[in-house]
Amino acid sequence: MTYNLMTCGVGGQGLMLVSNLIGIACADFGLNIRTAETHGLAQRSGSIYTHVRIGEEIYSPLIPYGEADALLGMEAIETLRYIEFLKPDGVIVMNNYMWHPVQSTFDRVQDVANTYLSIKMIMAQLEKITKTIHLVNATEIANQTGNPLTSNLVLLGALVKTEGFPLSLNQLQEIVPKVVPEKAINANLKALLLGYENRK
Amino acid sequence: MIADVISTNKKTAFLFCNEAIVRGALESDVKIVAFYPGSPVSEILDTFYQISDKFGIKMEIATNEKVALEIVAGASMGGQRSLIAMKSVGLNVASDTFFSLGYTGLNKGCVLVFADDPYCHSSQSEEDGRFFAYNSYIPMLEPTDPVEAKSMVKAAFEISEKYQTLVIVRTTTRINHQSTIVPLEPLNRTEFSKGSFRSFNKKYATVGSKARELKLKMLERRDRIAIEFENSEFNSISEGSLKTGVIVSGVSYNYVLEVCNKLDINPPILKLGTTYPLPIKLISSFINKLDRVIVVEELSPHLERQVKVLAKDINLQLEVIGKDSGHFSEAFEYNIPIVFKVFTQIFSGKKTTHYGDIVKKAEELKFILPVRIPVFCPGCPHRATFWALQRAVSGKTSEVALINDIGCYSMLLLNNKIYPKLNGDDVLLSMGATLGTGSGISLAAKEKIISVIGDSTFFHAGLPGMVNICHNNEDIIVLILDNSITAMTGQQINPGTGYGLADNKTKINIEDILRGIGFKNIIINDCFDAKNCIPSFNKALEEKGPTVIISRGPCALWEDRNKRKRGEKIQPFFVDQKICRKCHTCMRDFYCPAISMDNQVMHFTDDNEKEWSGFSSHISPKLCDGCGVCSIICPYTNHEARSEKDVIKIYEKKREVRHDL
Repeated sequence: MTYNLMTCGVGGQGLMLVSNLIGIACADFGLNIRTAETHGLAQRSGSIYTHVRIGEEIYSPLIPYGEADALLGMEAIETLRYIEFLKPDGVIVMNNYMWHPVQSTFDRVQDVANTYLSIKMIMAQLEKITKTIHLVNATEIANQTGNPLTSNLVLLGALVKTEGFPLSLNQLQEIVPKVVPEKAINANLKALLLGYENRK
Repeated sequence: MIADVISTNKKTAFLFCNEAIVRGALESDVKIVAFYPGSPVSEILDTFYQISDKFGIKMEIATNEKVALEIVAGASMGGQRSLIAMKSVGLNVASDTFFSLGYTGLNKGCVLVFADDPYCHSSQSEEDGRFFAYNSYIPMLEPTDPVEAKSMVKAAFEISEKYQTLVIVRTTTRINHQSTIVPLEPLNRTEFSKGSFRSFNKKYATVGSKARELKLKMLERRDRIAIEFENSEFNSISEGSLKTGVIVSGVSYNYVLEVCNKLDINPPILKLGTTYPLPIKLISSFINKLDRVIVVEELSPHLERQVKVLAKDINLQLEVIGKDSGHFSEAFEYNIPIVFKVFTQIFSGKKTTHYGDIVKKAEELKFILPVRIPVFCPGCPHRATFWALQRAVSGKTSEVALINDIGCYSMLLLNNKIYPKLNGDDVLLSMGATLGTGSGISLAAKEKIISVIGDSTFFHAGLPGMVNICHNNEDIIVLILDNSITAMTGQQINPGTGYGLADNKTKINIEDILRGIGFKNIIINDCFDAKNCIPSFNKALEEKGPTVIISRGPCALWEDRNKRKRGEKIQPFFVDQKICRKCHTCMRDFYCPAISMDNQVMHFTDDNEKEWSGFSSHISPKLCDGCGVCSIICPYTNHEARSEKDVIKIYEKKREVRHDL
């Protein structure tokens, strides 16, 4: 069995930590994993992604189109941008958050009739691929931990509860202290748990 | 993570390929490393930067790849194992020395990791660096994943010492930016101690008759390595039941294996890991039994043509499927759908795949999406500089030409739409090329030239161009964007940063260099004092002869890191929407990712009973880096004497710096 996870967001949102946590957990708990990441130029507030593949029979670091079991989006626009990777009726865990690209603001300044996209518009498109969409108020929940930078862990917590995810909450809780800086351990653990509990 | 790279008790760890490469070098007892940063190998440098002290490794972030290669070559000559990593175009810079090293050979193990960048993720060209190996007679290994990358680095040290030559480990972006579970072997580190260069009694000089003598020795060395590579563990054949076989190297090997699984086919597969010199006998025996062979390799049809040459002698009937046959492209990187398409066609005769339909459906859903092009970060000094420059050239656009270069400011090219007066997409060639091309255009055409260059690029490849400009009195403005760090590749220190690995680094001052060269007209600006920079640009545009403007302000990400180290927080700004006049100046002219337009119409009546209605701007306190330049630009904010009347104000709360910076 192979579990494919596509994660995406905007450079600077802490996406790499998510795949790193999953990877280190897999290494510690005896699962095979391969990931492909974006580094370099795209990290300048650009569109970024990570391919995460877990299982015995995986070779390619990249997920083929239509074969991701889940899509974890730290930002709504970017979630739709990688939709070709999700399998039909796959799981989407998406942050209820939109970071409008500067290019959209540019268009809007030229003519205010050029409106920004809304979460609702994104959802309408995503629903054409799957009905399993978990919209998470990750920013709000992260604020409850006292560290607003932990929305990535909130989303990971929500993902853990979805079908097929190969690691348990306990396993990730064991790994978090090994990976995040000491000062941020408690907030990250809290974010992971709150994300998990909030997912209905 | 670092703890795993240096672990002494773990048997395996989840490592990023660039970390696995470092681990391989550590296990090989490397003693001296040198680099100039470049994506996709920057993290090799970054990882060594964090651990070199602990392991007594001497490390230099050199001014450019040529100097760095000379350092590791010298280290090998001096009797220490050494390693260098660079991006593909870095080897262009280092190639002068590189080719000589093919002739002279080296002494202690010396490994060059260089990475090509198919798809130009972060490079100016999709260069196929494999030709460097063929042209220099320097042996080359190509891994398929992080596990093999680590093994190959270790093997490369052994081959290097056995044959007394530099050895290449060639990767591509998809190899470097992959993570997986990598076996760890013992570190077996030894104490560093200086030896004696003289004691080895070896010569490394090549010219004329000496070069002719060395050439013959080099060919003989190549032949000996070729014999060894025939039996290398890095080449493997998996037997198959079909008369159509596959020859593959690099990351494509993974795609081939997965596609064969998907199609449930079992062709014979020859995976090549030693790609120079090629194992000719192994390839010949493989193709001898086949009717047809598919060659899967990214970029040029390099292996494919070699296979054809061999087939001419031993299997004239062999049909070769590859780029020449039109099945694969020489452009961009491969993935499963690309390999799948060719394999379905060859093995089942079908011409289409379901992947095309998936992408088509997705495209239909995505038509609503805006582009998200990389932009200057919130707090970036370049945004402030280009705001002022755009004001200065306003109305003179047709009389001015800006020449771009390599660095974060390259993004002007991508964002040409939002900096229309700067035409940052006119010229961008290579590191430091802004100076020579700017000089040439100023000789040939009447426009006033503004050659843009960053501090790291200035040290890397700018000095000869600067001397040339001063010596020839070129009529040109050189705009040096000094953010005190090599920003684009992840904020590595450079000679201008002022401090480095140890306390014994000397800070090199750019204006001292310029004065030393003989420049008379040097202007130094604080770019965050954006309004006050405009007059100096205007003045420079009127000058004849060479003018240098140093636009100074630290990289936002670098400064954030320093803030975190100093225990400081970020002080964001915010828009007081109740009194915002909705003039949109902060958005229209500044394009900061932290500023967006609000979705609700608001009204405000000022003291003169003037009505202001519309959509006000909004600064995200999560994204704002606190540079405050928007509050300088805002016509309704007095940044010199802040008060309640200001539209852009200092936010009530500070926030922590991201911990992953």
